[in-house]
Amino acid sequence: MSDYTIIGKRMPRIDSRAKVMGKAKFTADLKLPGMLVGKIKRSPYAHARIINIDTSKAMALPGVKAVVTGKDTEGIKWGVFAYTRDQQFIQMEKARYIGDEVAGVAAVDEETAIAALDLIKVTYEELPAIFDPMEAMASQTELIHKDFPNNINIHVNIDTGHVDENFKKAHYIREDTFVAPEESYFQAEPYAIVARFDHEDCLEVWMPNGGPHMKSKPLSNAFKIPLHKVKVRKIAIGGAFGGRSEICPVDYICALLAKKTKRPVKIEFTREENTIATRQGHAMITTHKTGVDKDGRVLARETTCYMDGGAYSSTGPIATSVPFLSMEQAYRMESVRYNGYRIYTNKPIRGMIRTHGRGFACGLDTQLDMIADHLGIDPVEIRLRNSRQPGDYTSTKSYVDSCAMDETIHKTVEKSGFKKKWGKLPPFHGIGIGTNSVQTGFPMGIRGGSQSFIKFNEDGEATVMSGVVDNGQGNDNMLVQIAAEELGLLPEDIHLVSADTETTSSDPGSYSQVSTFVGGHAVKIAAQNCREKLFKVASKILKTAPDNLVAKNRLIFVKNDPEKSIPIKKVVRISLLNFTSVNAEGGYWPKVDMKREWVSNPYGQMCEAFSFGTTIVEVKVDPDTGQVEVIEVTAAQDVGYALNPLVLEGQFEGSIAMGGQGGMLTEYHEWKDGRCINTTMLDYKLPLACDMPPKINNIIVESLDPKGPYGAKEAGMSIAMSAAQGYSAAVSNAIGVHMDSFPLTPDKILAAIKGKKQTC
Amino acid sequence: MEKILITLNINGQYCEVMVYPNDTLLEVLRDELDLTGSKESCGEGACGSCTVHMDGKPVRSCLTLALEAQGVKITTVEGLANGDDLSDLQQSFIDHGAVQCGFCTPGMLMSADALLKDNPRPDDKTIRKALAGNICRCTGYTKIVEAVAHTGNPKDHCPDCNTRSNEKE
Repeated sequence: MSDYTIIGKRMPRIDSRAKVMGKAKFTADLKLPGMLVGKIKRSPYAHARIINIDTSKAMALPGVKAVVTGKDTEGIKWGVFAYTRDQQFIQMEKARYIGDEVAGVAAVDEETAIAALDLIKVTYEELPAIFDPMEAMASQTELIHKDFPNNINIHVNIDTGHVDENFKKAHYIREDTFVAPEESYFQAEPYAIVARFDHEDCLEVWMPNGGPHMKSKPLSNAFKIPLHKVKVRKIAIGGAFGGRSEICPVDYICALLAKKTKRPVKIEFTREENTIATRQGHAMITTHKTGVDKDGRVLARETTCYMDGGAYSSTGPIATSVPFLSMEQAYRMESVRYNGYRIYTNKPIRGMIRTHGRGFACGLDTQLDMIADHLGIDPVEIRLRNSRQPGDYTSTKSYVDSCAMDETIHKTVEKSGFKKKWGKLPPFHGIGIGTNSVQTGFPMGIRGGSQSFIKFNEDGEATVMSGVVDNGQGNDNMLVQIAAEELGLLPEDIHLVSADTETTSSDPGSYSQVSTFVGGHAVKIAAQNCREKLFKVASKILKTAPDNLVAKNRLIFVKNDPEKSIPIKKVVRISLLNFTSVNAEGGYWPKVDMKREWVSNPYGQMCEAFSFGTTIVEVKVDPDTGQVEVIEVTAAQDVGYALNPLVLEGQFEGSIAMGGQGGMLTEYHEWKDGRCINTTMLDYKLPLACDMPPKINNIIVESLDPKGPYGAKEAGMSIAMSAAQGYSAAVSNAIGVHMDSFPLTPDKILAAIKGKKQTC
Repeated sequence: MEKILITLNINGQYCEVMVYPNDTLLEVLRDELDLTGSKESCGEGACGSCTVHMDGKPVRSCLTLALEAQGVKITTVEGLANGDDLSDLQQSFIDHGAVQCGFCTPGMLMSADALLKDNPRPDDKTIRKALAGNICRCTGYTKIVEAVAHTGNPKDHCPDCNTRSNEKE
């Protein structure tokens, strides 16, 4: 295998010790002197004009230190893009969903803050509310946002040409519609934020985040203070899954309360607030029309997707595109027309989530299975005939360099025994396959690259500074592994300073699956630059050329003559005595097409690397109850290179739980008049240890991406998506009905079985 | 409502603390005694993040009044290690990659620790049942179940038992 000492090993994570001892501090664990408790007043109406807010009684309650409303915000609006700034941090004119922020309170304790919320009198004029995206598009009543006709927030149109003429050449065409409701993140840690203004009027904040620099810039804009005065601090984070990347109104409200009271303020979300007032996954109605030749190769495809975006835009343009992009990366589809509509409704806001568009991806895969059925081809073969290949361009003109999609298919097929089982399993026992691809990053403009600084301390240990954040997936460990490998130190010699905007440079965050590829890469380059400086000094002592040296196990030694060595610590001290710097920096900016834009120009190089994954699932369905028993899951992903197989397997298994077991069998939201009625962990059915399949086979496929650090690229997310597809295909195979409504709950399964009996 | 002085025996130490009669054990541990290892994730007894031991039995500290916790031995995640020496279960969680974001980890450890004290060699099904009241959103549970099964019971086939001598070559 490789010559690496630390990279590629099953290294237990550096952050685990503090976590198993209960010492790791999460935001809710923080206590600052004089800290107040903040609470949010939320709209009880799905759509209502705010006529008046009277805060006088709340302000008069002993223990209340501040009350803020939209009047205190100057009406500032938030949106990821300039053209999507549609959300005031505190609503002044209208509330657009049940839970919309209308006021904030800071008080000496939680009881007082809650009592104060009840004393804030908001006078509303209720407006007709719309909860169904198709009705919202056709609505003649008041628009949810006045500048968006038909309540269409985003329309992404992609047309690669020749679609209609290639449909004419098709041997077989079919059109099918697939639906899926909203799902939620249910991060273990409910959202929380602590904010204070320090003695230099700097805003200091702690909160779970998907990128500290993604939080600091909007806060700097909102408070009209320089960026260096916003200090987003590092804190342990209890999961994100795409839901904590952008600024949240509560971030601003908490900071505003801290500013007004001149005291630290902490706001902790209840579980219900975490469900309704952060982000959710989009509900989707997707129609795929696909034309194939007689061998099942796709000649033309037209996909139209209607996404329920909820009350505000959030990451709308990205979320409207990614489900399509994942599929255009996974499968060749040269002639394709995509129309994605993200529609405003009076429901909570939808954003990015680990499994982008289960209705979309599972629909496309299910339709491939239907086509395969019609043509008498097996599901594996039809995928191999359409799978993405290295050296291809995607339909939106991204060059695909490393790609081992076929290897992931072949290896899962072999390990799962698919060929032996397909078509030969007893009734209500099924097997299915799903394949997917995820982009490693996308154009993020000024925040698309990452920079790292490394300083050697005089004891021979090193401090590494990086803007990369760890949401729980192991990014901190990844950075330490890379730095230790390159510097020739042991992991325990590396002190990591990360995810702090005061001390680290701009970084995309753990957003768009780019932490290793960009942030890790920056650390690698910084460490190599640092090592070069040490080698220059060591080469004089060891009397050899710098490129004839190796650093390993705290020593610098001569290649092929390891007896000739010197401790790194000694080289550092000699350097310092000779007035030579032992610090270095490094940065990495992926070469993407900066002109590519989600809506106005969705063509060009999206990112430098794509990952590819396949999941095969075997299930038994109880025909009397509709319950699904998952027997075995086999997942493979082309991750480029596995920096740490132990961590990677954890990503695979977590992805199977969220995308497959939960996402395809039990997780969905239920509504009554715009009110989400399953907001808690009792009502929303998350997978438990006893629900998970007894056997999960992880297969790591390494294509060694030429651009990635050590060949690594995204790892984990494409499994969440291919697992959803695999689960759906397996259940469909078990009951002999291609399912088109997700997730596959027992009632839908029983109805499908009953429907099939009636048609037989 | 007035505060009452109670005495709690936590991790082998007696603590006197003023509590309201409706304070939960979790609130007192976290807010009054700075034992923030126990977490609140759901606040309604569904997720298990707040699990502590009372006389060795796992309980939800978010559903337990502090008043009810008098006269018993309470152990929190902070009491699992002996000083800096981790328990075998804690070490096994680290070695097997059973910790990701770590928010559910304290509760998971407390449930698993109680199981192992009762049954040092539980099979896969028994472990999954014992942990069914602890929700983890990151790991898919596989590595947690392995970590519990291999605690004090290392397996030759497992690359993560005695992990440092079994690195990937």
